Amino acid sequence: MGKNTMVNFDNSAGTFPKPESVRQAVAEAVRDLGGNPGRGGHRLSLEAAERVYKVRKSAAEFFGAETENTAFTPNCTYALNMAIKGIMQFGGHIIISGWEHNSVSRPVYALTKRSGVKCSVAEIYPDVGRTIEGIEKLIRHDTLCICCMAASNVTGRILPYREIAEVCKRRNIAFICDCAQAAGLLSMRVGDGISFICTSGQKGLYGPAGTGLLISSGEYPLSTIIEGGTGATSGELAQTPYMPEKLESGTLNTAGISGLGAGLEFVKSKGSDTILRHEKNLCEIFERGLEKLGAEIYDKDISRVPIVAFNISGRTSEETAAELSKGGFALRGGMHCSALAHESLGTGKRGAVRFSPSAFNTPAQVNELLRFMESRFSA
Amino acid sequence: MKKTMITMSSITYAMKAKEYLNSLGYWCEVERTRKNIGSGCGYSIVVRDDPDLITLRLERKNIPYNGIYSL
Repeated sequence: MGKNTMVNFDNSAGTFPKPESVRQAVAEAVRDLGGNPGRGGHRLSLEAAERVYKVRKSAAEFFGAETENTAFTPNCTYALNMAIKGIMQFGGHIIISGWEHNSVSRPVYALTKRSGVKCSVAEIYPDVGRTIEGIEKLIRHDTLCICCMAASNVTGRILPYREIAEVCKRRNIAFICDCAQAAGLLSMRVGDGISFICTSGQKGLYGPAGTGLLISSGEYPLSTIIEGGTGATSGELAQTPYMPEKLESGTLNTAGISGLGAGLEFVKSKGSDTILRHEKNLCEIFERGLEKLGAEIYDKDISRVPIVAFNISGRTSEETAAELSKGGFALRGGMHCSALAHESLGTGKRGAVRFSPSAFNTPAQVNELLRFMESRFSA
Repeated sequence: MKKTMITMSSITYAMKAKEYLNSLGYWCEVERTRKNIGSGCGYSIVVRDDPDLITLRLERKNIPYNGIYSL
């Protein structure tokens, strides 16, 4: 773990520590891949471009896409903005779920203010049939898009994204799926109604911060929200029409992409199912301990990715997280950039504390955390 | 052996074409499009085999290309 002695249980915000292979790939890229990929004919540029292509191909395979439909972004928020605004920038109606992160709700809100876009917010019920029925009722003649997360960043709740994808496929509506919390844990692939997968690179894909992916099924062309140098059709004033360069204006983050490639290989070699099982086991240990402490656990009986959201009686979530930080444990309190989700959850201003393990956490670390909590929070 | 330059829409398609053609056993390299051929920046693949055969392979794989030039 190097110099940092904190135990990280805030992996939903970014997995840490990273696999050794990721650290090596980033270091090697900074040391050896100094050319600007796609910007020259010399060996340095072509070597960097080859690395970028290799990672692009790996990501495309992982998400069931073509390499040219796999674009690198600085993070998931950029990917979501590019997908949402790329579909909606000329108006129309969009449906989002009542659990969305600000990376969805804020760009949609901005579109409603600036571009006359109309938005409906779908309620998500534990009963999938009721949720889908509600979404079907919200669809209008001008509905262009549904945007919904695969799993909540607050409680881990898995939303019925497959059923929503079926609706989108049947009704010829684009479906943007925010996979920030699902990628690397659940099998997420474009197609079968999923038009776009947006994800962060630094969470379940174990890449470095500052990496993300926008993956398209190729069915819905996106308008661009950023234009600039792409290394393709440079003699034209108009943005290159060719994917993925169309969506990748400006110099790519070769070191970050190299690290993301190593992270993807880590996940592929370990297996998403194995990582999911390991993290779920840690969540179960933690939940049992929380129950003994009398903590309030949210979405407890709902199918979730490995996240536990909770509160300790008599304390705000920020107070609890601050106390845990003093003991050397990184957990996140507050709103998690998800006002909509906390409204849906009923945790409004109090927020919640989020426990989110990674492949590198151990049962011993969880038990150590529980012992600390017992020493601080027992009645 | 005579070489042919096939101009591509982007570096990604050039890389994809190279990988595909190499997997079929063809010699193929990615190069910057030569100034007397393309306008602005761009990438091409250079091949040694029959360009008609090569472009047929690319079309079947849905890899777009722009033009064919003897070197």
